Amino acid sequence: MTTAQYGAVAVEPFGDSAVMVTIPHADQAIRRAAIVAFRDRFLAHRPPGVLDVVSGLESLLVEFDPLRTALQHVEYAVRLVARWAPSDGPSPGRTVRAFTVPVVFDGEYGPDLASVAEELGLTPAEVIEAIGESTFTIALLGAAMAPMMDGLKVPRPVRRRAEPRTDVVPGSVMIAGTNAIIQPFPGPTGWRVVGRTPHTIVDISRPDPVSFGPGDVVRFTPVTRDEAAALDAGFLLPTEEAV
Amino acid sequence: MTTVGLDITSSGWVTTFQDLGRRDTERRGVPTGGAADQHSASVANLLVGNPREATLIESLGGELALVPGAPVLLAVTGAPAQVTVGGAPADSWSPLVVPAGQEIRVRGDMDRGTRTYLAVNGTLTARTLLGSAAPDARMGFGQVIARGERLLVETEFRGFGRRLFEPQLFRLPVPVPRFDHGPWVVDVVASHGIHTIAGIRQLIEDSTYVVTPRSNHVGLRLDGPVLHPDDDTEIVSHGVPVGALQIPHADELIVLGRYRSLTAGYPIVGVTSRAALPLLGQAGPGRELRFRWIDRETSLRRFARREAEVRALGHAAAEAFGALGFGAPLSRINCEAILI
Repeated sequence: MTTAQYGAVAVEPFGDSAVMVTIPHADQAIRRAAIVAFRDRFLAHRPPGVLDVVSGLESLLVEFDPLRTALQHVEYAVRLVARWAPSDGPSPGRTVRAFTVPVVFDGEYGPDLASVAEELGLTPAEVIEAIGESTFTIALLGAAMAPMMDGLKVPRPVRRRAEPRTDVVPGSVMIAGTNAIIQPFPGPTGWRVVGRTPHTIVDISRPDPVSFGPGDVVRFTPVTRDEAAALDAGFLLPTEEAV
Repeated sequence: MTTVGLDITSSGWVTTFQDLGRRDTERRGVPTGGAADQHSASVANLLVGNPREATLIESLGGELALVPGAPVLLAVTGAPAQVTVGGAPADSWSPLVVPAGQEIRVRGDMDRGTRTYLAVNGTLTARTLLGSAAPDARMGFGQVIARGERLLVETEFRGFGRRLFEPQLFRLPVPVPRFDHGPWVVDVVASHGIHTIAGIRQLIEDSTYVVTPRSNHVGLRLDGPVLHPDDDTEIVSHGVPVGALQIPHADELIVLGRYRSLTAGYPIVGVTSRAALPLLGQAGPGRELRFRWIDRETSLRRFARREAEVRALGHAAAEAFGALGFGAPLSRINCEAILI
């Protein structure tokens, strides 16, 4: 990614104490990658008075305390950060962790497996193989800290369900587009449920309820139900740390 | 410092631990959450000498009642409420002493506002999630307080040796909001989406909207006239400020609350002024709302004025309690604005 692609940010006020940052570009993939890179850099150089940021697919909402800073200052900081060329490699000041997540893929734990296979013109076994051979990168933490990942290698993007499921159990591994996500708590979803991991993804009794963050790498390993039960899987922890 | 038990003798409809919400967790998928009416929650804490972000009790509907095992200093704020201590009427929006073994009862007037707040001098023992006691139902963090429970508060308060019927202990400059009977006027700053729907600005300004029972912490759903964009421009999933006015495909208006998540597909025509957010946190089913467009400068001026009042109360309370010799929590008063 070049400085030029990065430099052109749009900053729009949103209410009395937030701005929406977008990176205008004709190519959707560049818009999406550039905003992730921008977010990392902005957080690494967070200006005073900025309370939090909220990642969208192609945008970043920057919330600030209007009594400690002002719209103009935040906008100025956004433009300054955006003008610096992004460095290569992972986001600054952070180690990339790797996770190996055992998953039971079968008709009961993965009720959408058959329909996904049909949609892609594959057999269910080939879908499981494709998921197992994909290397996922966590793009962001979605609702309730769910790890949202990119990197599913399938012939074409997977559609969402026309009618969302209303109550998906925790640990469900779900796909849509070329993304995967793990459901941390019971709840509704429009994603396609293809399997289930015995691990606890989010544990609210821990000071830090998750062990992963954006940029971390995830691989799914197919296991049988018996193997899953024998794992005595608890809170999901990384298998290795790579710089 | 002593630990005092608070026996919950009535818990109303929904009573929870609460505070001003999580900080810096939105980018990890956890909304700030926290007291729907941040002003009332802040003031309740300041009235008892606590930092404004201290854990307190939020109650929605019905009657909250508790009996302390030792004298406690507490304050009730929020919606207009009938407050009694040992059966005798007491004031809300004021520090109150509840003697050991006496019951304080709080019954909010649901026609005037939905939530009451009860703060107790000291530190309430409560579980936290990501640094906050605020509930997050989505993550299974309910924080519900039930009848029969005993809460624990660590406090330096030992009583003043006064009787209940003596005149008010303190005269503090308390910024008490108005909870009018008629429609509430909510200030809104226009946002980008307003340009995608011709005539929406005028329509919203001229109409009255009614809060429906399908409302919750995620958003208030309002009955009233709306218009939709002519074209189907795709709006991809993005973050939204608390108080955003969203127009879904159905004919309703949604004002997003402190537990909102990303939104997609629907235009956002404006965002509620910070100074008006506490009022929205008190709006319950049946409440009529009117929206008034204001510019960003006016919005921030109002917020700054409101914040100055709260700070003035904080300083006055710190002086009053300091003069009485109990000051520990006060030294931690945090003057940063943490209303989101």
